Amino acid sequence: MTAAAGKSPHPAFAHASEAELARILDFYDVRWRYEPETYPIGWNLDGDVVESFSPDFYLPDLELYVELTTLKQKLVRKKNRKLRRLRELYPDIRIKLFYARDFRMLMLKFGRMALIEDLTGATGQSTPPRPPASPAPQVSVLDPTGAAPSDEPGSVGRAATGDVAGGIASDLSRTGSRRRGRRRRASEAAAAALPVAPAGVESRGDPA
Amino acid sequence: MTRTADLQTDIGEVLLTEEAIAAKVAELGRRIGEDYAGRNLTLVSVLKGSLPFMADLMRQIPLPLRIDLMEVSSYGGTATESSGLVRIMKDLSATIAGEDVLLVEDIIDTGLTLNYLVRYLRGKNPASLRICTLLDKPARRLVEIPVDYVGFEIPDQFVVGYGLDYSERYRNLRFVGVLRPEVYTPPA
Repeated sequence: MTAAAGKSPHPAFAHASEAELARILDFYDVRWRYEPETYPIGWNLDGDVVESFSPDFYLPDLELYVELTTLKQKLVRKKNRKLRRLRELYPDIRIKLFYARDFRMLMLKFGRMALIEDLTGATGQSTPPRPPASPAPQVSVLDPTGAAPSDEPGSVGRAATGDVAGGIASDLSRTGSRRRGRRRRASEAAAAALPVAPAGVESRGDPA
Repeated sequence: MTRTADLQTDIGEVLLTEEAIAAKVAELGRRIGEDYAGRNLTLVSVLKGSLPFMADLMRQIPLPLRIDLMEVSSYGGTATESSGLVRIMKDLSATIAGEDVLLVEDIIDTGLTLNYLVRYLRGKNPASLRICTLLDKPARRLVEIPVDYVGFEIPDQFVVGYGLDYSERYRNLRFVGVLRPEVYTPPA
């Protein structure tokens, strides 16, 4: 959906920092879409997607995804793992990660440090969580780290369909053929630019 | 109580001395002078941060150049500017159509302002448009734009001085320094 400048119907952002970044992008006339695509990053033995990743923003004119993680550093480990997987599986994707420190520096640059506590961390979660998805099947995660996917606080309300595999047991006894199969599926998904989630909200008209 | 800025004690570290800046500006001026020899060069600077750099740089370029100034609103500059679009507070005074334009910036970090300005200036049909910045903070980059002349690549720290401000202060420092975090960290 494209909207005229200043009149974009902003989506229900999961976090206040995301809303702030959207306002900044609007201000500088940079078109964006909110969580427009979801990329599968984990499959079970049957080839079903059990974990996926939905970058917060896509900037179509820059061909760049932006992921905002304003939680404390120790809490972003799982998101870092997801990003590593995304980059492994979809090496052509350009994604910029904004950590809490990056966001603080951005707010400092714009003289909005007084708002920082309201825009970051758990207090910045501005929208209620979306209804939980269907319970995940008891399957194994195709992830070499063995870390189970989780609904970390920063991704509350995301449109991702794959973040549903809470409690999934890890299984590191993957065979080479299964790994190849996973990579093949990832390549196919990437080639098809496979959007699992509903299309995100797009803002901004064409640049001036 | 409002904190009082102090030019001496608020700076934690001098990142670039006055002498280092002067040497770099002279070097940039020589390069630009060679590259634009025989062409119609117009330097366009963006207020207010680029003012000292522009003033020094133009005197190091041995060409009969023109200068012009722009000012654009910054996000969050006032409460009412937290939404809407960049506004051109001061536009160019003369046409740049057919001119070779060099946009002079003090610092490039996110690239958001620069991206906006480049699109705006290209719409005025210059013969060419290049970018010169004294400071480049690539770790902050959101919008990748090719920069033709870079003075210094600096680490990801909040710097002030030589035109750069925090809350409109510290622009008059003769060097570039790192602001102490306690200056901008809200009191608990």
